Amino acid sequence: MNRIMNCGRENRLRAALVSLGVIALLLISTSPAYAHGAKIEHRVSTTIDIIATYDSGEPMAKAQVSVFAPHDPQTPWLTGMCDAEGKFSLSPDPALPGTWDIQVRQAGHGDIIHVDVGGDRATAGGAGNFSAVQIVVMAACVVWGFIGTALYFSKRRAD
Amino acid sequence: MHIPDGILPAAVTVAGYATAAGATALTIRNYRREDIPRASLLTAAFFVASWIHIPIPPTSVHLVLNGLMGVVLGPMAFPAILIGLFFQAVIFQHGGLTSLGVNATMMGLPALLGYGIFQLRRLFGNGNRTSTAVFAFLGGALGLGVAALIALILLVTTIPTYMDVAAERASIITLTLAHAPLMIIEGIFTALVVLFLLRVKPEMLGDHAS
Repeated sequence: MNRIMNCGRENRLRAALVSLGVIALLLISTSPAYAHGAKIEHRVSTTIDIIATYDSGEPMAKAQVSVFAPHDPQTPWLTGMCDAEGKFSLSPDPALPGTWDIQVRQAGHGDIIHVDVGGDRATAGGAGNFSAVQIVVMAACVVWGFIGTALYFSKRRAD
Repeated sequence: MHIPDGILPAAVTVAGYATAAGATALTIRNYRREDIPRASLLTAAFFVASWIHIPIPPTSVHLVLNGLMGVVLGPMAFPAILIGLFFQAVIFQHGGLTSLGVNATMMGLPALLGYGIFQLRRLFGNGNRTSTAVFAFLGGALGLGVAALIALILLVTTIPTYMDVAAERASIITLTLAHAPLMIIEGIFTALVVLFLLRVKPEMLGDHAS
């Protein structure tokens, strides 16, 4: 009687082991990559790259950079330094959308640009980025204005 | 030399405008119509001068010519420099509109000093070409030197605390020292211009050159 009972337990145990083995085999055969699981997380960020140069074309090497977030235009959100080529990169906090001010300064010279984060617009703070030809033409017009003024008053004096 | 917008505190820029307005009012009070052609031509030269860069390692500087303005124009140099600086700010982005008063004061008052120095040549007799050249040199050189000194003081005393103050101060001092050779250049240039004008058109130098 005991032998019959033991025999029944062994059969159930064997059946359970076989079932587990089949399940394990199925898992292994259908999902071979489970042992090398990969996980990709992502975060969208904006990087602002600037190149600071003097109007003579020289890079503002080692110039100091001060970055002001939209919520506090008085205290820099980040300070840093341009490299030897006048380059500097920063990643503004996307949680602070608005206009970011980036000032580059060296020996009392420099400029500030305003970059919209959260929009697609970046505007320079200077009066304009003219080409050399445009500047020469404008300067020539101004010089001619001065010469014209001189000629006008010379003529009046002669009269 | 030109201080751009956004560098100086607002109080300093306002004080600069106040000083420039007062100096302009004082200097144009006794202007004569016949001074205008000369002032206009010198303003054109002053305007273009800042476009001429001179490399003085480790930096580079540009011509200023405020001392020459003072020597040749006398008191009219101040309004002439003010107008020249306005066009430099608009066309070249040298300096700025908010800092226009500061820059005019910084360069205009030393120009008047240059004029005063040039007047000292009279102590050695009128028509003395040597003393004329020497004092023209001194007026041109010291006009620029004092302007650079004023810029140094303004910039060093207003460096924002969030910056690396030591590094910024060092770069300001380096740039100021680079103006020492430029003082020599502008002094010589001023002396040459004055001697040339004395020879070909002495009336260009006005009453203070006779």
